[in-house]
Amino acid sequence: MAEPATEFPLDSAAVLAAEEHEVPIAGRSPWYLAWRRLRRNYVALFSLGVFLLIVIACALAPVYADYVAHSGPNDQHTGEQVRVNGHLRPIVGGGSYFDEKTGKFVIRDLVVVGPTWWHAGGRYVLGSDILGRDVAVRLLYGGLNSLKIGIGSALICTVLAVTLALLAGYYGGWADWIITRFFDLIWAFPVLLLAIALASALAVNGFHHFGINIEPGSLWIPTLVISYVLIPYIGRPVRGQVLSLREKEFMEAAIGQGARPLRIMFSDLLPNVASTILVFFTLIIATNILTEAGLSFLGAGVRPPNPSWGNLISSGQDQIHTAPWLAFIPGIAIVLTVLSLNIFGDGLRDALDPRAKVRMEH
Amino acid sequence: MTAFVIRRLIGMVAVLFMVSLLVFVVFILVPGGDPAERMAGKNPLPANIANIRKKWGFDQPFYVQYARMMQKALNGILPGRHGEYDILTSFQNRQDVVKEIQRGLPATFSLCIGAGIIWLFFGIVVGVISAVTAGRWSDRLITTFALIGISMPVFFLGIVLRYFLAEKPAHPIFPDGGYVPLTKDPTQWAFHLVLPWFCLSVLFIGFYGRVLRSNMLDVMNEEYVRTARAKGLSSQRVLLRHVLRNSLIPIVSLFGLDFAAVLGGGAILTETVFDLKGVGWYAAQSVGDLDLPPIMGVTLYGSFFIVVFSALVDFLYAFLDPRIRPT
Amino acid sequence: MTGKRRWTWLLGVLAMAAGFSMMIAAYGAAGTKTKTTSTKPVGTLRAVLDTIDYLDPQQAYTAQSFWAMWDVYTTLVTYRHVDGPNGFKIVPGLAASLPTVSANGRVYKFKLRKGLRYSNGKPVKASDFKYAIKREFLSTGQGVGFYTGIVGAKKFSKSLKGDIPGIKANNPKRTITIRLVSPRGDFLTILALGFAAPVPTGTPPAIQNGNIPSTGPYRISNYDPNRSFTMVRNKYFKPTKFVPRGGPNRVEVSLIGDANSAVQKVIDGQADYTNAAIPPDRIASVKSKGTLFLHPTAPANTYYIWMNTTVAPFTNVKVRQAVNYALDRKEMQRIVWGGLGRATQNVLPSTYPSYRKLNLYPHSMSKARQLLNQSGVNKSQKITVWARAVSDSEAVATYYQGVLKSMGFTNVVLNILPRTTYYTTIGNVNTKAQTGWARWLEDYPHPLDWFEVLLYGPRITAQDGNNYAYFDNKKINKEIEAVRKAPVLTPAVNAKWAKIEKQIMQQAPWAPWSNRVWPEFFSKKMSCIHVQPLFGVDWLRLCKK
Repeated sequence: MAEPATEFPLDSAAVLAAEEHEVPIAGRSPWYLAWRRLRRNYVALFSLGVFLLIVIACALAPVYADYVAHSGPNDQHTGEQVRVNGHLRPIVGGGSYFDEKTGKFVIRDLVVVGPTWWHAGGRYVLGSDILGRDVAVRLLYGGLNSLKIGIGSALICTVLAVTLALLAGYYGGWADWIITRFFDLIWAFPVLLLAIALASALAVNGFHHFGINIEPGSLWIPTLVISYVLIPYIGRPVRGQVLSLREKEFMEAAIGQGARPLRIMFSDLLPNVASTILVFFTLIIATNILTEAGLSFLGAGVRPPNPSWGNLISSGQDQIHTAPWLAFIPGIAIVLTVLSLNIFGDGLRDALDPRAKVRMEH
Repeated sequence: MTAFVIRRLIGMVAVLFMVSLLVFVVFILVPGGDPAERMAGKNPLPANIANIRKKWGFDQPFYVQYARMMQKALNGILPGRHGEYDILTSFQNRQDVVKEIQRGLPATFSLCIGAGIIWLFFGIVVGVISAVTAGRWSDRLITTFALIGISMPVFFLGIVLRYFLAEKPAHPIFPDGGYVPLTKDPTQWAFHLVLPWFCLSVLFIGFYGRVLRSNMLDVMNEEYVRTARAKGLSSQRVLLRHVLRNSLIPIVSLFGLDFAAVLGGGAILTETVFDLKGVGWYAAQSVGDLDLPPIMGVTLYGSFFIVVFSALVDFLYAFLDPRIRPT
Repeated sequence: MTGKRRWTWLLGVLAMAAGFSMMIAAYGAAGTKTKTTSTKPVGTLRAVLDTIDYLDPQQAYTAQSFWAMWDVYTTLVTYRHVDGPNGFKIVPGLAASLPTVSANGRVYKFKLRKGLRYSNGKPVKASDFKYAIKREFLSTGQGVGFYTGIVGAKKFSKSLKGDIPGIKANNPKRTITIRLVSPRGDFLTILALGFAAPVPTGTPPAIQNGNIPSTGPYRISNYDPNRSFTMVRNKYFKPTKFVPRGGPNRVEVSLIGDANSAVQKVIDGQADYTNAAIPPDRIASVKSKGTLFLHPTAPANTYYIWMNTTVAPFTNVKVRQAVNYALDRKEMQRIVWGGLGRATQNVLPSTYPSYRKLNLYPHSMSKARQLLNQSGVNKSQKITVWARAVSDSEAVATYYQGVLKSMGFTNVVLNILPRTTYYTTIGNVNTKAQTGWARWLEDYPHPLDWFEVLLYGPRITAQDGNNYAYFDNKKINKEIEAVRKAPVLTPAVNAKWAKIEKQIMQQAPWAPWSNRVWPEFFSKKMSCIHVQPLFGVDWLRLCKK
């Protein structure tokens, strides 16, 4: 029977045991077992590789811009020419003009240089957009922005959610009640709307209160705005797990020993929910990248002229009849990134907990 | 039962209050431009700006403004004639917000109900098939497509579909966006909605399929299913009676919330890409314009749906799973 | 009769005959024969616009709504339905003739035409004009600033109670007498603005989009906000020499924001006309599929970069002049709208009789750098370029940022504001915005609409201002005041305006760069395409091939 893509037979532990000649399985930490399972999941590893490749490529955006394309993400080279296969071509050519002699306009299409696929010595590999900017450079910088926001917001979301869930699960009582209501509130809220509203409102002047200074164009605005959206998504299942863990004996022991609450939460509870958190973390990066793309597409995320995959798609839409790649390439980049994260996240989840699948709690 | 209903009602009102307060605070405290100046237009007179402030109450303290705005929102929904300053009107074009939301309802409802039926049906079908054939090629194929489905940004899918099926071909199969009312031309109505329905459903089909599959696999391993099998019940009966019924419970919950979210204006991206001027589109416009009254109106409308459906879902839960009683 | 007189007589008869038959054709049911070259009436005109703001005459204030409204709500005086410069001429609308103006230029007397009726059959009264002006103030419309020159209007604008003594209406005699506080040369053009269109007395000040009975050849029968509106014939309308009966029986307007969709509808035959801004990368291919018209004058416009003369570094005139030298205006036309604009260094667009083309700053980056060095300003200070979240504004701002950097400034950032809050933010003196994008679309064809509103010191307001450069030059202010009184734009007066404009550009509070040209796209079936210089496509006169 062929190995299914993201599934493992229920007797994988026995299979692994058969392979281990020297070291007995008993005594192995669950992390090591998980790692062994993950290692055998080639598809998940490949996806992780793809994702890391994308991250590295985007991180090297400044290098690409300086050494390969010789153009920054916002540099307009409209009046200039580029040598493609030996021929000089205008980067943004054509266009209508007013003929002084006839007193009329001569109508011509604006022609933008298409992908040169390395025939121009590294410049305009993926072509130019309508303002003469190098698409490949913008794609990489856009990816950098999208990834920064996606990963950053996922981190903040996870940290906040886990802290709240630990507090709620450990203390119970009214702390639990407040925090659960808080989760409900966020869940009931049309979050995309609030995200757009906040982002638009903050775009005017930035945020300069309480000693925090955020400039209008900063990436912090979409990051913070997206991070709270999925707090209940992690918060509820983790809280559920903490609640059930609390009843276990090792907890009674710890409390009986007189350990302080903070220590209990971080040394005893947290490691037990760590696998859940890890899986959710990867999936949330994927979701946040999609959310950020949606916000930027609507104009409420990364503000122009700074690129983001979302706003590259939105500005490429106008030229979809003559230069469809301007809108398609960033979209494909998003799909690849998110898909690779999702596949890896799946594999991670299977590796950490092949039997009891972590369910989406509501 | 009555206690349940009352408690949920109180909860609903509390949530709506918190949500509206939050939106209001965001807009009053975060500087977004003086609405009186915006409304006064290009060649304003200071007297005109002052008049606008007085008539619309922008010179009042913020809690008075909040109370007035809630009053206006309520007036818009209740029957009876009200003056222009007693209902929620947009800062941008002075239109009645409630009426505008009503105008957007046909498009949003058509989109969401149609898509909801499609994604629930196909989500279940896909989930069942991949659970029953777990490990085989059909399962792997479905899982791959499901993963692609949930990895694709909804607006990108919309743009791609629209381009290849409605714009590029010399004789396009589908119309290029827009909404035709059902009452005006049923065939065109459906025709204009096929692409948006597909686009909105893809994400959810993938997601529900995977969740259902995972739940079914879990249930299939649980003790009582094994017992039923041991008792000699046919696989199919086991499947339908026990497995499906229990696996569907989380799906019901998910569907309730997702459906409420899109109905409440959550399908912003789909509506924008396909030019369906529904509630979601209206919301996106208003937010982009920093227009507080429509934002408030749409937010309340959306939250209302989510809260109502959430209560309905809890009720349905109790019905499907006798172990749970509404509390 | 002499031979010459016979010819004149003959020509006169022929002209009358042609006019008569054209009138019959316009009145006629579908498919009547006409003496013109095989054209048919339009029947239903299907137009696609991008957006309109209001269909309430006291509120409508965009070029797109004016396109519709001037054939629905007629004003006392209006403009002719002709092409070319004659289209700027003020002619009687609802008034029987042009007004008599007193010697001191402060009293205007009108008499309404006889038998005027609204589209609901009720008669139009002289007092309805007074009510329209009052309603403008009562409904806090955007045009109130134009009418404060009427005696008593300023007081009314504050209290919103009582009367405006400066307007006297006599209903039995059908006369209207308007008194101004001081004479204004542009008063007739202000009266021709839609804000002053008479509406039935008692119409509520609250927005009435399309519900107010109309006086023009058409009335609005249906309005679905953001989606569509429809105009049908006003059966109580009586055509005059200056306001003809319309060609189409019905006008169905769809409101579609996406330019590609709008253009596609016309190409596919689902619509007859659109004013969408066709993307420059496909304009030639679109042109081959229909009829493309470019009109440079409706609305007359100037797109410019303003530099705040009260905030560093733009307090220094050399810096402002350097910016003017540094801009490559020809390239900017191409970048921003694919070439559909004309480079300009003037404040006024070329439609004005006072226009004299200025070329004080021929493009030279080296000269710009030189001037910047001479000015001695700190090149590392932070400069924020402000723009509006609209694609052309962002494109210009990005280009301008690059230009400032090339000039030598090292710290230049962009701040792009939402569409709806942009003007109020830069128009607020506390923002201290240094420089940015702006445009002015003329309200009415008179130089005062530009110089007094945009570059005149005493009209600077702390909030919601229009003088983003905060330009306050005492000498030029006095010159503007001197010319303001002139009732008619004679060549001598125009020469004075030209002198003012040159002096302003020498001080360079602005770097004007384009007069934009808007494409109008018709399906191949449409004919009789006429462009009124103020209102654009005169759809009243459209016909089918």
